Formats: sequence, C-alpha cells, structure tokens
Amino acid sequence: MVLLLQYTLLFSSVLILVALGGCFSEHSGVINLGLEGIMVMGALGGALTLKVISPTLPAIVIVLTVLLTSTLCGVLYSVLLAFACINFKADQTLVGTALNMLAAAAATVIVKTINIAENPDNVSSTVQYVASKKALVVNIGSFQFNWFMLVALIALIAAYVILYKTRFGLRLMACGEHPQAADSVGINVYTMRWAGVLISGMLAGIGGIVYITAGVSEWKFENGVAGFGFLALAVMIFGQWKPLNIGLAALLFGFFRALSNVYSGFDFLAALNIPSSVYNMMPYIISLAVLAFTSANSRAPKAEGIPYDKGSR
Amino acid sequence: MALESAYAIEMLNITKRFPGIIANDNVTIQLKKGEIHALLGENGAGKSTLMSVLFGLYQAEEGTIKKDGKVVTINNPNDANDLGIGMVHQHFKLVQCFTVLDNIILGVETTKHGFLQKDVARKRILELSDKYGLKVDPDAKIEDITVGMQQRTEILKMLYRDNEILIFDEPTAVLTPAEIDELMQIMRNLAKEGKSILFISHKLAEIMSVADRCTVLRRGKYIGTVNIADTNQEELSRMMIGRDVQLVATKEDKTPGDVILHVENMTVPSKLHHNNAVKNVSFDVRSGEIVCIAGIDGNGQTELVYGLSGLENITSGKITLSGKDISHASIRERSLSGMSHIPEDRHKHGLVMDYSLAYNLVLQRYFEPQFSSKGFLKKGEINKYAEKLIDQYDIRSGQGAPTIARSMSGGNQQKAIIAREIDKDPDLLIAVQPTRGLDVGAIEYIHKQLIARRDEGHAVLLVSLELEEVMSISDRILVMYEGEIVGEFDPKKTTPEELGLYMAGAKRKEAGA
Amino acid sequence: MAGNNRKMEKESFFSKPAVQSITASLLCIVIGLLIGYIALLIINPVGATEAIITIIKNYFTYPSKAAALKYLGNTLVKAAPLLMCALSIQFCYQAGLFNIGAAGQYVAGAGASLYFALGFGLPWYICILAALVAGGIFGIIVGILKAYLNVNEVISGIMLNWIGLYTVNMLLGGVKEVSSPYTLSLASTNPSAIIPSLGLEKLFSNNKYVTIAIPLAVIIAIILKVILSMTVFGYEIKATGIAKDAAKYSGMKEKKNVILTLFIGGGLAGLGAAFLFLTGYEQWSVTQSSVPGMGFNGIAATFLGGLDPIGTIFASYFIQHITSGGSYLDKNVYPSQISDFISSIIIYLCGFVLFFKFFLNSRIRAGKEKKEGGNK
Repeated sequence: MVLLLQYTLLFSSVLILVALGGCFSEHSGVINLGLEGIMVMGALGGALTLKVISPTLPAIVIVLTVLLTSTLCGVLYSVLLAFACINFKADQTLVGTALNMLAAAAATVIVKTINIAENPDNVSSTVQYVASKKALVVNIGSFQFNWFMLVALIALIAAYVILYKTRFGLRLMACGEHPQAADSVGINVYTMRWAGVLISGMLAGIGGIVYITAGVSEWKFENGVAGFGFLALAVMIFGQWKPLNIGLAALLFGFFRALSNVYSGFDFLAALNIPSSVYNMMPYIISLAVLAFTSANSRAPKAEGIPYDKGSR
Repeated sequence: MALESAYAIEMLNITKRFPGIIANDNVTIQLKKGEIHALLGENGAGKSTLMSVLFGLYQAEEGTIKKDGKVVTINNPNDANDLGIGMVHQHFKLVQCFTVLDNIILGVETTKHGFLQKDVARKRILELSDKYGLKVDPDAKIEDITVGMQQRTEILKMLYRDNEILIFDEPTAVLTPAEIDELMQIMRNLAKEGKSILFISHKLAEIMSVADRCTVLRRGKYIGTVNIADTNQEELSRMMIGRDVQLVATKEDKTPGDVILHVENMTVPSKLHHNNAVKNVSFDVRSGEIVCIAGIDGNGQTELVYGLSGLENITSGKITLSGKDISHASIRERSLSGMSHIPEDRHKHGLVMDYSLAYNLVLQRYFEPQFSSKGFLKKGEINKYAEKLIDQYDIRSGQGAPTIARSMSGGNQQKAIIAREIDKDPDLLIAVQPTRGLDVGAIEYIHKQLIARRDEGHAVLLVSLELEEVMSISDRILVMYEGEIVGEFDPKKTTPEELGLYMAGAKRKEAGA
Repeated sequence: MAGNNRKMEKESFFSKPAVQSITASLLCIVIGLLIGYIALLIINPVGATEAIITIIKNYFTYPSKAAALKYLGNTLVKAAPLLMCALSIQFCYQAGLFNIGAAGQYVAGAGASLYFALGFGLPWYICILAALVAGGIFGIIVGILKAYLNVNEVISGIMLNWIGLYTVNMLLGGVKEVSSPYTLSLASTNPSAIIPSLGLEKLFSNNKYVTIAIPLAVIIAIILKVILSMTVFGYEIKATGIAKDAAKYSGMKEKKNVILTLFIGGGLAGLGAAFLFLTGYEQWSVTQSSVPGMGFNGIAATFLGGLDPIGTIFASYFIQHITSGGSYLDKNVYPSQISDFISSIIIYLCGFVLFFKFFLNSRIRAGKEKKEGGNK
C-alpha cells in the first residue's frame, strides 16, 4: 500500500511537471508536442550527471546539480521548437514530432558513444546511476520520500501564482488568447512565446529525470520515455489548462501508472491473473477515455497552434 | 520660443506604395487639439493604410508625421503609444476570457515585487469611468458583456494610458442606435476635456452630427478637408465617391406570388451561450419579393440563417421550402431542393481560399453529372463552366479560371460567390450581408443582382445590418431583436427612426402575416 | 541583355511549385546529411568520412553486382512498408489530419496479419485483408473521437499506438516460438501466408523476401495520386483539409469524410505491416517495449516527398536507404541510430519548407517588380 502511494506520488510528480510545461507553452500560444523529446533530453542530462557525480557529495548538492543539468538540457532542446515554430512559423505538430524522434535518436547515439568510449564491447544505450540515485530519496519508515515530489509541489504552486498573480502571467495568457490584442498594447508576442516554450522546456526537462529515476536505477535510452510526454498532455487537457486541476488530474493518472508497477504486490490483483500488458495499457486507455469526455467543451487557449504573424491583423 | 502648434498630430504628404498599388498618394491630414476630425472614404480608399502608418505598422515611403509641430518617427505601435496616440479598433482587441480590468491594464500593469496591484488599477478605472460617463463593471469578463460595454472598455484602455489623441475606427457598425447616440455624446465629452479625436467612418449622417472637420480620401488620394459647418451630406458623398450615386436602388412594384419559404416556430441554439439564439420564430418569404431581416449585429440573424441553411440543427419548429419539409434535411439536400446561400463570412464559409476560382465556382455542384462521372471530376467541363460565369458576372481575376481564390480582391471573391449561388437558379436565395466591406460600385452591382432575382419571380431573403440598404431594396422588413422577430414593416410606410426603436428593443409588436 | 533574359527564365523556373518542393527536399537532405556528418566527426573523426559514405552507399558497399542487387532487394523490402505508412500519413494530412497513429495502425496490421497467418493458418491474401481492416479500425477510432468528440488526433493516436503495442504483444504471445520472444517462422508454419514473388526475386539475385508487395506499394501510391487530384472524393478530402467550414457549407459530410479518411489511412498503414511481416523478412518480438519506428519514419518520408504520393515513393526509398546504410557502420565505433538521427533532422528541417517557399516566392516577386520598374 505504501509502495502504491509512493509510486503514485512519483508518477504524479512527473505528470505535474510536464503537464505544467505544456500549460505554459500553450498559454503562450504554442502547442508543444515535443514534450516527450524534451523529457528524453532532460533525462539524458540528469542521468549522465548522476553517472559522473561523486555519490559521496552531500545529497542536496547532488539533487541541485541534477536539477540544473536537466533544466539546462530541456531548455536548450526546446530552443529548437521555439526557433522553428515562433520565428519560422513552422507546423507545430510536425516540429514537435520531429523533436520527439530526434531526441530518442540523439540520446541513443550519445549514450552509445559514451559507452563505447568506456568499453568498446558495450554497445548498449543504457546509463546506470545506482549509487548516486540514493541521494534523491529519504526513507521515512517504509515510505521513500523523493525530493522531486517537493519540486513538483513547488512548481505547481509557483505556476498558479505566476499565471494568475503576476504581470508576466497576464501577458503570457494574452498572447495565447489574442496575440493581436497583446501586440496592440506593446507586448512582444514573440518574446512571450519564447518564454512560454522555454519554461515548458525547463519543466519537461526536470520531468524527464524524475521519470527515469522513479523506481529504477538504470535507463535504456532507446526506449525514450514511453509516451509519458503525451500522457502529460492528456493530463493538461483534463485539467483544462489550469494548474490546480492539472495537479488533481495528475494524481489520477499517476495512480493508474503506479498500479502497473506494483499490482503484483496486491494479493487480490495478482489472483485475478491479468496479464501485465493490461496494466501497462491502463494509463493510455484511461487517458483516451478522459479525452473523449473532456475534449468537446475544451477551454484551450484560443490562439494556440496558430503562428503569429505581425503582418496579419 | 517657438509658437505652440495648433495641431496635435499632422501627417503631411504621406505616400505609401504596395506591390502594384499606391495605397496612400500624397495624403495630408491635420488634427487640431480638442477637435473631432472625421476621416471619410470608401472601403479601399486608404484609411486603414494611413492609420497603420500612424501606428508604425507600415513605414511611409514619403512624407512626415508631426506631433505638436515637431517631426517624429514612429516605427512600431509602442512609439505611437508613447506619443499618446490610442485607437479603438473596428474589431476590438480584447481578450475574451479576461476581465474588463485585466484588459485595460494589459501592457501597462502596476506591480509590486512583480505582483499585480489590481486594487490600485480598479480605483483609477472607476474614477475615469465616472469622469467620462463610461459605465463598466471592471470585474466582468469580456465574453459576458454587451458590445457597447466592450467598446467602452476599449475607450477606457486609451484613457487609462493618458492618451491625448484618440482614434475611432468605424466605431458605430456594431452599436444600436441608442448606443450610437451615447457614443457620440462620449466623444463630445472627450473633446471638451481636451482630447483630440480622429473618427474614421463612411456614414455621412454620423459625421455630420459629431465632427468639426472632415478629410476625404478616394482611391488612395487626398481629396480635401472641409468644415462640417460649411458642407452637407451631398457634397461629402460626391467627394467620397467622385460622382453622384443613386444610393436608392430603383425597382418596380410587384405583387408577391406563392409562399416559397415557410418557417414555423423555429428555435436555434447558440454556440456562444446556453440560451437559444433564435426563439420560436415564424415567417414566410414569397416568390417575387425581397424580405429583409434587419437588426443590430448579434441578435440571432447569423443563427437564423444557420438554422435555415442547415449549418446548425434546429431544436424545434418546421421549415418548408417550396412545399417540401426540410426541417431536418442535410445541407446538401436543402441546396438541391432549391436553396442558395451567400454566407456572411465569405472567407470561412463561402470559398475554399486555396482552391482555384474554377473549383470554387462548382463548390455546390461538383458532384453533378455535368461536372463528374463515375467519381472522376470533368476538369474540362468545370473550366468551361467557370469561364462562362467569369464572363457573365464580370469576375475579375489575375489568370481567369485557374486563379487561386485567395489572390483575388474581396469584391471579386464576393462576385464569384454570387455568380455561383445565382447560377444554381434557386427558388430561394439567402444573402447575408452581401455588400459588407465592398465599394460602392460592387454594392450597386450586388443590389441589381438581388432585384433581378426578385423580378424573375424568385424569393430573396436578405440579412443586413445597414438600414440604408434595408430601406432601399426590400419589399418587406422583419426586425430581429434578441432572437425574436419583433416587428414587420413595409419600407414605404416606415422610417429608419421607427426601425431603430424596434432594433434596440424599445418597442415590439407581434409579427403577423 | 542576354544575361538578363536568362535570369528571367531561371526565376520562372523556380516559381514552379514542383521545382520548389524538390529544391526544398534536396536542401533538407543535404543539410541533414551534413549535420549527420558533423555528428560522426564528433564521435570519432578518424572514420567519419568513411562512415557517412557507408551510410550513403548502403548496398553499394558490396563489390559484387549480385550481392549489391540482393541487398538492394532488402532495402526495397523495407521501403515498401515505409511507403505505405508515409502514404497513410499523407492521405490524412490532405484532409487536415496529422495521423501520428499510423505507427499504431501499423502495429495493428502486424498483429492481425501474423495472427491470421500463424494462428488461423490462412493464405496471404486473407492475411493482407485482415491487416487492412485492423489498421482501418484503429484509424476509425481516432476518426470517431475526432469527428464527434473533438479529441486531438495526435494525442489519441499516440495513446492508441501504445494500446496497440501491448495488445499485439499479448495476442501474438499465443503464436510465438517456445524458446524465443519471436513469432513462429512463416516459412515453416504456414508458407501459404507468404506474399508471392511471381518471379521478382530473380531480379534481385534470388532474394526470397522480394515479393509483389513492392510493386503493389508503388501502384497504391499512384492510385492515391489519381484519387487526390482527379476524383470527386479527392476534391472533398482536400476541401475538408484546407477549409473545414467551407466544406461543411457546401454540403460535404465533413464528419463522414474525417472518419473515412482515417479508415483509409489506417488501412494503408496496416497493409504496410502486412507487406513486411508476410514476406518473412522480420518476426515480431512479443517483448518489445517500444512502438516500431516505421510509422514515425513515414512522417519523414511524406514531408520529404513534398506531400505528394509520387514524391513520397522516392522519399521513402531514400529514408530507407540511409536507414539500411546505417546498419553497415562499425557498431563498435558508430551507433547505427545515426541514420535515425539524420532522418529526424530531415523532418525537423521540413518544418522550414513553407517558410523557404514563401521566402523564395517573395524574392521572385521582388525581383520581378524591380525589373518591371526598371523597364518603365
């Protein structure tokens, strides 16, 4: 039971972070379908940091360094999206998809190169971080508290405050709803959209490292992040682009994802003898069902997905 | 010490060229401090280009702009804002899901440690709204308030920024007659308080009633500036159009024939809110008559037509076309049963903008045996037919039938739609604001086409927001207010003033046969 | 004067849409390969030039003509399903739908064709039909969600990709080899399920995987081209894609068209899977934990092909060519995923194509005006 709670909170943290990332990007008017790829890049940065950092350093240093590198990788990678979609008005779906594929390919190439350099016979795309991963968790009884849970909570509160209480949030949302109006009062729509996309890169980058350290101590980068970026988008839609609703939606989705990790620990579930594939499918089926019920009356930012062109008014 | 200039803003000898067209040719306009100055011209006369130059959206090739007598350069809207120039755009620049307050402060927010100080802003907005008589609720969302209140929000946006030069771009198009009067009063108040106002319009009566002076543009050229006190509507009209025009269309009396369209207790839901947009409406349109639905924009006319054409399902009631029940027929069935529809939004509904003109001209008929066989399009036939319509309806396009619709002028796009819809030879032609945004020549042409349909003994249902158009070409007028038909009139026996009262909801009577 | 005239001709040459598309695609390829080369240089500068040449040469690496032909055959065997996936995405894109679910429809097709072949022992033409229907059903789900419930087809497509993967893993778990995670071999279990070659194999040094699937895929591409440009259905699909509201206004059944389009798209991707798995070239691994990349590579092929079925034939071949080429790299020096890296760079660059064309056209216009102005 504790394990289920622990995994639920962990996976919810991932979904909260990434969905909030999507939320910032979409409120600025850019649909970020490249979240999945950004997660991979953030995960890569974080995993490599964990791999090389000395496990004897204080835990707080390790956590902060990992956060920093994941953030940096996510932000840098999201530049590719911002550049193409904002400045060059590229098709946002196409570029997002390209970034997802590129991330998987690039991460695999990078990891393999590193592995080969260390040992020419090791052609796998796996990174191990058993030792330093311990720094991320604190044992409270049988419950393993993960610092990233706290990071997700802080991100959630910060997102709410930034979007609804600050000048930046007001301007950001104006750009996603009615960029012409924002432009007419002297707000630089391109700058705000860049900001939205880079914030999404930051959050999704962190989400990536949280995901690959949840419950495992090594990651095979050929597998990417198994559609989690898209699950996060489903969470965002279910949460109607509002931070607090996103938090609740993430808990629900996190629970079903956690179930597939720990179902065998529950006697009554194990007794049902349902194949593991069914549990693996669960989060995707749930999100499909949820989307079917919530998409009809969605409150998506009105101008999302439409490149802003100063010329057309 | 230089003498203080009498002009708040001057645009001197402005010339702006676009590929293949001179949008502003040596245009001069001088706005005195504290005056209301009208800028008059037809669609396409160059008014918007001139304002875009003033706001730094375009850079003029020649000419200078002076503020208080000093030459200034304006490279972007921010420069214009800094010079105290503000504008109420024809299409409001308001974020629908934001509150009035959020919209007003957007871009000039007061903050403390990065946090918004909305209470400070609220106080200032209420002061301003008191001072100028601009009633608004700062905490209401834009999507929930009336168009009039949205416009007041736009005006407050300018005042909140301490703008001295206020530009109103066609501000009356969306207002009720009562709201128009109120706006005129607000404009006078603002001028009295020392604000300088530029009022862009093509409505002569309004200019005569509120402006001090008027500058006229025609096809990009500066025609002249006159004192309103020394002129009259006829002179302004001549200046604007360059010749005398017959604004009133001529048509012979005709006795209507059989009922073509019969609508009984029709109700249509709204996409924007939970109430029904059209409530329990009944009326007839007979052959050989033009029935006009008059009303202020947003009183259910759009949805009424959606209900009739099948773009929206009706929730109750009955529609009969030439004796056939089409209440729940598909759009295609209605079209085949003899209904043509010139849509309100020609870009969204009327044309596939990236298709060729030829493909667009068969948009309702591509599947007919004349244009296809065994599932294949007969491109030769389609082109032949297109050439015929282009010839017959004088549709001008760069390369004829293969021209991409997007590259055509608005007037010719509309002509293409009209040609397509009329050539179907429908029993009933529904035309929704068919003349919107067109110049006088195109308007005359379209009116002639509508009257010709009537004279040939077909039924025409016209939806129009322009009272002048309503009065001049209809045989019968139905006024819509808040989704209901509140009155039926004979254009010969009513006045624009009487219609205005019904359109504003001040009066109503049951519509009888 | 003469020079001037030539410039004019050149301008009008570049103003042709087809020429622009091809130029843009070639540019994407060149830049993509260049970036790939830079990546190789970073990994290991010593063999980088040789490595990029290996990727580009693919089967030409083999000195004997017979061997080269045989491995050309292999590339074609995999290019056919890729072409099908690309066509699936393209057909839907014409109707304004981004069918990222092609990957899952492909998986469904693989599951259905293999289960009909191995589980039921049915002949190849039935198995192909099963793949078409299975892919189509996956497409229809996306279509219904889109048309009636306004669900973004990209997100529902991705969800169905994963649902498809796990379902097919479960399903094919019943027809797998005892000692491995791979499905039973067609040749030994049910040879009648293998798509016939009709002698084609002889052209490719008796490469037994070369079947009529390859010409079939090309024929299907041509049929799609005809449908899109010459038929009433194509007229409707494209109108729905460019102007949904105008299509509705004109009386087209927009919802029906969305669902039908996705059914066809799904069917095409499903067929693609049958075209690969029913040759026996690959066996399905029931433990695979990621969605096969075929459907995603189809996105690269379709955009590189300028969104034209004929262009896509060549683009699919090219993408598969460099992907196969990647497998000839020395695995202990260069990861073979460098090919995937290059194709994803190419897709990314395709995002700039519209801007490129716009830029080209405005330059051409500006040039023309300048000239006209000079003549006055």
